[in-house]
Amino acid sequence: MAGEEDQTRRSGGAVPYALLSPGMLWLILFFLVPLGTLFKTSLSTKPSRFIPELSFSWRIANYTDALDKYSEQFIRSFVYAGAATLLCIAIGYPVAYVIATRGGRFKNVLLGLVVVPFFTSFLIRTLAWQNVLSDNGPAVGLLDHLHLMGLLDALGVAVDGRLLATHAAVIGGLTYNFLPFMILPIYVSLEKIDLRLTEAAKDLYNNGWQAFRRVVLPLSMPGVFAGSLLTFIPAAGDFINAQFLGSPRNSMIGSVVQNRFLEQGDTPTAAALSFILMAIITAGTLIYAKVLGTDDLI
Amino acid sequence: MTTTESTPTNSGPALTRRALLGRMGVLAGATAIGPALLAACGSDDDSVDSGGGGGSSKALWFENWPAYIDEETVALFAKESGLDFNYTEGFNDNAAWFAKNQRLLADKKSVGPDIVAPTYWMVARLINLGWVQELPLDAIPNAANLVPSLQKPGWDPTGAFSLPWQSGMTGIAYNRSVTGRDLTSMADIFDPELKGKIGMLTEWRDTVGLTMLLLGADPSTATLASAGPALDKIEEAAKSGQIRQFTGNDYMDDLASGNFAACVGWSGDISQLALDNPDVRFAIPEEGGMQWSDTMILPAGAENVDNAATWMNYVYDPENAARITAYVGYNPPVVGVQEILAAGSDEEKALAESPLLFPDEATLARLHVFASLDEDAESGFEERFATIIGA
Repeated sequence: MAGEEDQTRRSGGAVPYALLSPGMLWLILFFLVPLGTLFKTSLSTKPSRFIPELSFSWRIANYTDALDKYSEQFIRSFVYAGAATLLCIAIGYPVAYVIATRGGRFKNVLLGLVVVPFFTSFLIRTLAWQNVLSDNGPAVGLLDHLHLMGLLDALGVAVDGRLLATHAAVIGGLTYNFLPFMILPIYVSLEKIDLRLTEAAKDLYNNGWQAFRRVVLPLSMPGVFAGSLLTFIPAAGDFINAQFLGSPRNSMIGSVVQNRFLEQGDTPTAAALSFILMAIITAGTLIYAKVLGTDDLI
Repeated sequence: MTTTESTPTNSGPALTRRALLGRMGVLAGATAIGPALLAACGSDDDSVDSGGGGGSSKALWFENWPAYIDEETVALFAKESGLDFNYTEGFNDNAAWFAKNQRLLADKKSVGPDIVAPTYWMVARLINLGWVQELPLDAIPNAANLVPSLQKPGWDPTGAFSLPWQSGMTGIAYNRSVTGRDLTSMADIFDPELKGKIGMLTEWRDTVGLTMLLLGADPSTATLASAGPALDKIEEAAKSGQIRQFTGNDYMDDLASGNFAACVGWSGDISQLALDNPDVRFAIPEEGGMQWSDTMILPAGAENVDNAATWMNYVYDPENAARITAYVGYNPPVVGVQEILAAGSDEEKALAESPLLFPDEATLARLHVFASLDEDAESGFEERFATIIGA
């Protein structure tokens, strides 16, 4: 935090607040007010599914019922999102590292290549995976040809000789769809690191790996942290990947919210589910920040 | 991508009525709101009286399901009627449309389109809620061409509120190159040999209806209790992995690619898909099939009622109806279409003989329409089915 002296020097009376006000107004109008409405909805009852009127009744049971009924989907969502986030780090960190340290004059091109596929719509990309992974598609064909399907079956990645409609397909889809959100922040934090620090570490008798682990990795943690949030949070609420790459046994909490809200017109339960998801993610994020010790880095 | 030849033909599977819906349903938020906003801006100067029944303006807006008409009919009507006809394809999902518009409907305010064509059960709901306007049948003399079996149907007992757009059959769709044999019964759908290769529709009246028929129950009088064994059977199949996925209208891709060996499907989709892929077939199960109609209504608050009547009269002219039927491949609700197609080109003659478009009496006798449910029963079904599909 800035010191007192610092603050007085910077403050220009009401000017900062005036500059902030459009943003604050925006947040109040389009974030806080809807959040309040959603909260009220989540504690209401809906006398008729067909009539949009709600009656506010402090119905806490909306929360307990929802948790009770959909714990399976909640757990699955967090496991899938967690797995996808770890995979994103495992794939994204080396990519970001290579671009940041070895990219040279091709840095921008390489970053462009990371982002270009994502100019296509999220949905189209997921449907493309449906084609790639389909039972008679190229992926299964190749793996069959290499006699690897048996192994994948044994590992639980494939089920009955197919890749689609499995846990692995949904996690893979989530990983693919959110990968740039991991690569870009890690790249930014790596880019900022003065690589002469690793030379200094080596001067102090660290080998290359130690220099990376003790200097580069800690300094890039804010990027990993930011990337994890940008990956995990949307992945936990996603339902497209589960719908198109999964089976009824792979459905996530997003599918439930979507169904409750749009199909069943049960807005209180949908709202309660959304709040539970938000609460768990907020708590998780705080714990994650504590564990990584990143609260003073971001 | 749409053909506008002077002799309309089936233009292949890319454009069937429900083909794109699974995907588009997901985008419904975006796609449906766009036109609605545009029209909301445009309608101010079009029509002065928002109470309904106004007729001085030239505007007319019909929001229909995607790929559910040939472009030629739209253009011809606009030319002949002189109306400023806006035909959009933003109607993707009954329940989602209802969820989005229920506030406006309850307040009897215009939802934008003057005509929409929800599925029969949604029409029943809207009529019961009083959220539709009576049709000006006096201005629709061609309504007399409505086929007898759809006159005063269960969902609109007086026949005063709705005119069917197209009807269709629900049965088993299968890819013979995967199954290696013809399927004839819903029992084949539950055959462990096809485990993990079976699709079912999220449109539960179809999925549950067919399963009830397999178990000897009657879907036309279904209650949550009488459908219990069918729901249990579907749940068991979903848990065991027999059912690969519950889909909207995107089942056609899975069926054509062989991801699904068989699934619950709609007749018109398959009649079009089969043109490109003769391995894809459709069967009404021997124990019986389901029948449905998508039905034109005037939502409460619709403004251009007289113009809507002009449109309905136009499409209930058998010549115009035949042109639409040749394109969409469903069962026309208009008398005389078969005769007109039979007198047409070779392709049209083939359509006139297709049992998918014009099922014979014996087939029709095996078709059932799902029971009309009250709110509690419907919500009971929806909740139970949502649990089964994992949502």
